[in-house]
Parts: sequence; C-alpha cells; structure tokens
Amino acid sequence: MFNQNGLSLDQAPPISVVFRFFFSGALFGIFSGMLIMIFGTSIFDAHTTQAVILTHTLTLGVMLSFMFAALFQMLPVIAGVTLTSPVQKANFLQYPFTLGIITLLFAFYTSFPWLYGAASLLLGGSIFYIIAIMLKNLFELGHHSASSKGMVIAILALSIVVILALYMTATFSGTINGVYFSQMKEGHYSFGLFGWISLLIISISFQVIEMFYVTPPYPKAVSSYLPPLLFGLLVGTFILSLFLPFTWFATDIVLALLLSMYALLTLIRLTQKKRPLSDATVWFWRSGLTFLIVSMLLMVITLFTQNSTLQTAGYLFFAFFALSIIFAMFYKIVPFLTWFHLNSQGYFTAPMMHEVIHPKTASKHLYIHLTTFVIFLLSMFIAPLIYLAGLLTMLSFGWMAYQVIHAWELYQHTQKRGEKFEMGNINS
Amino acid sequence: MSILKKIDLDARELEHPKPLEEAIKVLRSLEDENYFYMLHRKNPIPLIDLANEQGFCTLSKEDAAGTWHILIAKNTDIALEDLLRV
Repeated sequence: MFNQNGLSLDQAPPISVVFRFFFSGALFGIFSGMLIMIFGTSIFDAHTTQAVILTHTLTLGVMLSFMFAALFQMLPVIAGVTLTSPVQKANFLQYPFTLGIITLLFAFYTSFPWLYGAASLLLGGSIFYIIAIMLKNLFELGHHSASSKGMVIAILALSIVVILALYMTATFSGTINGVYFSQMKEGHYSFGLFGWISLLIISISFQVIEMFYVTPPYPKAVSSYLPPLLFGLLVGTFILSLFLPFTWFATDIVLALLLSMYALLTLIRLTQKKRPLSDATVWFWRSGLTFLIVSMLLMVITLFTQNSTLQTAGYLFFAFFALSIIFAMFYKIVPFLTWFHLNSQGYFTAPMMHEVIHPKTASKHLYIHLTTFVIFLLSMFIAPLIYLAGLLTMLSFGWMAYQVIHAWELYQHTQKRGEKFEMGNINS
Repeated sequence: MSILKKIDLDARELEHPKPLEEAIKVLRSLEDENYFYMLHRKNPIPLIDLANEQGFCTLSKEDAAGTWHILIAKNTDIALEDLLRV
C-alpha cells in the first residue's frame, strides 16, 4: 500500500479481517461511552474500580482492537510480512480476545478470583498467540526498515505488558502472593503507554507521515534509535525498580522529553508537506501530537506536585493522543482498502475512495472528537458535563461503526452487482 | 506502428493514494496507440501488480535522482524499454 515494496495483491489481507477489528473496536468505544454515563466523574480517580474498568475497555477493547486491525493491514505493507490464513488467525484471536475483555471487566467489577483466571487464559492465550505469529514472521525477515524494527519492539513491549498483567491477575485471583505487585503495576502501565501504544504509533509514523503527506523523511538518527532507546529505558528502569524505589521518576522525565521531541518533530514535518491543504486526517495527527506534548508536560509537572486534577488531565490528554492517531489511520485505511480490493478484483464500477468515506465525513468526526475532548476537560470542573462527554463518546464511536458498515455494504454491493473489466472490455 | 501517444502523470508530489487512483483512471482509458508514463517517488507495486493482472505490459526503473519512472501499455507489442527516459 504505502512503501517502497508496496502491497502486492497477493499480500493484501482480506478486507473482512481488518474491518472486523475496526468494528469491534468501535463497539467497545460505544460501550465506553455507556460506562462513562453510568460511572460519572468517578472515572477521574485512577484508583477507583470504575476508572480501571473504563481504562481497560479503552485500552484493550478500543485501542488494541484498532491496533490489531492496523497490524494485520500494515505488516504486509511496512514489513513485507504475509500472514498465511489471515481469516483463521483473526478468528483465533478475536473471539477469545473479545470474550477475555468482557470477562476481565466482570472480574474487576465483582472481584471473583475465578474470573481473573478465566480472563488471564482468554486474553493471555489470544494475545500471545498473535504476538508469537507476528514476531516469528518479523524475525524471519531478511531486511528491516526503521518502521518494521520499531514494530518488533512495540510488539515485544506488548508481550511484557501482558506478562505483567498476568502477574497482577494471578495476585487478584490468589494464585500468587504478589510481593512485587506495585512494581509490576507501574511496569504494566509504563510499558503499555510508552512501550506499546507510543512505540507502535511512532514506528508506523516513520513510514506513513512521509508517504501519506509527502513530507521530508524523519532524520535517520530518530527513526533508527528512538524506538530501541525508549524500549531500553523502559526495560532498564523496570529491572532497577525491583530493587530501588523511585527509579521511574528520572525515567519519566526522559521519556517525556523524548516523546515531546518526537511530537514536535512530526508537527514540523507536517508543516513541510507539499500539499498546502490539510484534510481531517492531518488535523487528527496535529491534534494527537499536541495532546501528547501537553500530556508529557503534565506528567512531568505532577512528578513534582501531587495535583490530582493535573494528573487526571494528563491521562485525558494521553488517551486523546492515542485516539486521534487511531482515527487518522482509520480514515486513511478504510477507504483505501475498500477501493483497492475492488479494483484489484477488476471491478470497473468500484466506488472511488471519497465515495467510501467522504472527506467531509472525516471532518465532522474531527469536530465531534475535539468537542468530546473539551467537554471531558470541562467535566473535571462541572461534573454534570460528564454525561454529555459520555454521549459524545458514543456518538464518536457510533460514527466510526457506521463508516465501517457503510464501507462493507459498498464493498459487498459492488461485488454482487459491479461490472468487471478485463483486457477485452477495459475501455467499455 | 503508428506514432504512440504518451499519457503523462507526475505523481511525485501527490499524496498517497492519489497516484494510484489517478493511474488506474488512466489505465481504464488506455488504447493500443498510447502508453502511460508516470513519475513517482516510490515504486508503486500495487499499480504494477494490478496492471500485470489485467494483461498490460509494465516497466519501472529508478533514476539517479531517486525518481521512479513507470511505463504501462495495453498493447503488449510496444517496447517500453525504448520509451524509457532515464
């Protein structure tokens, strides 16, 4: 699709594999909105069960689902990795993964030990299953780009996130006594936020910012060394933190600096794009990167002052950073895949990309997304606004779910009724 | 053979996936007497794959400045090597 090697027709994953993860991610997003309406402002206290439930609905149900969709799509593109039997692999991943998330949420809600055990089996089994396949394929690659190397590191970080999560669920279920629980918990969210989410976005951006928006490439020093440096910092700090308390303090400052510098560099790259006009996806990137910078700034400030409002705002900014980038990728991937698959199948009447998702549709979602963010921030001070934030979250993800359904219907409609071109009738 | 008409597309500054979209539009209008000459910053494998699957003849080559020259013709008798300007 995007790189020097491109996406050959044989490598392209079936459209259903990518769409199904986008769709389930959007459904979990709608569910997040419902949870926000039920839980109210209690979600702003990170120590409450409500906050933990919402966080895992967003990170596992929404973000990881979208990222699995992106990985199925981007691995052939960025790394040249072709996953054999992708539909079967998607089935083996998605069903236990989805069931695992629901089980984990119930486990948090009820604290039943056996639910933690079941969630660990379902989530651990399904995530490790796909991690093993992806890493095996990536390690077998003869040639790596900066993006594919970064993806390997991000997937390794995800595996550490899951291992630490399993330690925590084993503690909750009473299987182990959890002597290192607090260290594992800190490692779990540090690897999750900085190792998995941030590193995957950074790695993919090395390829897509230049390709999508015709910008100068990232400096080689950044694309080659930033992902291993971030990962090395996380691993080193985690190991040290088992013996020395407060190790994360210094690392968090370095991480904040590195991520802010990356975000600034990407924002500058976006000012250097050849096309003067910016579509909604560019603004999703710009918003997301700005949210990341503010989030990092707030993280550093709260290291020195125990201000819970600023801490909550920092989490909000980070969540909206990740969601903004996910939305930017969504509006690039869905129209392209629909159009590309139909064209590669030879359909003369394949809809154009702007007919699958019109740029104005993406712009409307951008406004909804930004409004949702502002309302969330305001609801930290005007509590009843949290219900509006919940409604807007449902609207935002409902909007996405509708786009997936619409694209799928267009795809199927063209397959059923579309006119195919061949050499003989290509001019007809 | 009659004089061949060249259909140009300079896609070097077009954002992805506009080059692919524009190129496929051209492919659909190609005749035996014309050929498609595209300049791109990358080698567009999806386009070449798609053109080959449809029975077109294709040629792509990178010049010293890093620009890719992509030639596609419907008429398989056309010697694309002779039309390459690298």
